[in-house]
Amino acid sequence: MPRRLIERCQPDSIREFRAAARERFEDGLWLAAAGRRTGAIYLWGYAAEMTLKAAYFALRGVADTAVLTWNGHIQPAINRGRAAPLNIAWPSQGAGHNVRAWAELLTAERSLATATAYTAPFGRDVQRSGQRIGRLWREILRYHKNVAYSHEVQQVRDAAEWLLTHSDAL
Amino acid sequence: MPRKRMGTERPPSRTVTDLAERLAGELRNSREGGQPLIYETEYPSGRIRVIVIWDTWDAAAPEDRTSAILRAYDLAEGRESRDKIALASGLTVPEACAAGMLPYQILAALRKGDPLTREQAHQAMLEEGASTLMSPDALQLRFPAEEDAKACVRRLIQRFPGTEDVWLINRDATAQDFAAARDEAGEL
Repeated sequence: MPRRLIERCQPDSIREFRAAARERFEDGLWLAAAGRRTGAIYLWGYAAEMTLKAAYFALRGVADTAVLTWNGHIQPAINRGRAAPLNIAWPSQGAGHNVRAWAELLTAERSLATATAYTAPFGRDVQRSGQRIGRLWREILRYHKNVAYSHEVQQVRDAAEWLLTHSDAL
Repeated sequence: MPRKRMGTERPPSRTVTDLAERLAGELRNSREGGQPLIYETEYPSGRIRVIVIWDTWDAAAPEDRTSAILRAYDLAEGRESRDKIALASGLTVPEACAAGMLPYQILAALRKGDPLTREQAHQAMLEEGASTLMSPDALQLRFPAEEDAKACVRRLIQRFPGTEDVWLINRDATAQDFAAARDEAGEL
């Protein structure tokens, strides 16, 4: 008997996040084309989140296929971001999904060393992408019936697409 | 078929320009107290992390706040200074509080016979940078570090001699406090 969908899922890892980010981005494009705007934004937000997390943990030396866990990776990353010298504004609610904060954590972490620091314009683009998505996306969108405006769809798509298309340089 | 290259940079909006000019003025003429609170951290790479806590950001989008900070440094100190900034964030006092970045709060505990009125205390706290965004009646005069809060209290006492007992510094409990308490309990 074939295994069910959930049973076929690989554990969370950088490789799985990167592959899933592309899948969810593509799913979002189809939803947007079908007029399902909020659904599209909902998926693009996750695509951005996974892209940023994958980039951050790769920067920190986590292996591509290492299993990422809340207690072992996500929470320590948030704690590191909140503390000096990074000082990222990272509210408690939905902390693991805060795309703006992940983008800022990645940019700040890279800036600690000259060898890894982004150029000033590229760092600004990373932060700006996180800020734009952060204004329009929360994981709680799934609980709400609101329909996104066209310009909101475009803003989130552009930002998620930018992160995805620059994921090699993040 | 026409071929068009699309840029990602938008020209600065009027809001960004106005905020940047005001902030550039603050950078040129740094004051001891009052908003905006400007915090700069220099990383070992030489890049700078800038946080500007300012209630004036309230109506501005996060990316406009960042653009205004970068432009302000450009105006006040030049392009080189702007390009050293690795990350710039603009937060209002309530936003910074929600993120746990301003744990030290100054309270005015006024009693009968104190040498200043409630109105004087209110005005002095506003001038020291208190926020009215949470509630116009309940001022929030907050700082990230105890030394900043103590320096503010010293300025208030200098302004109103004999008010040493009026000004209280309260520190919010943080997640780290709870973790430390749990560790201590575990050790007993």
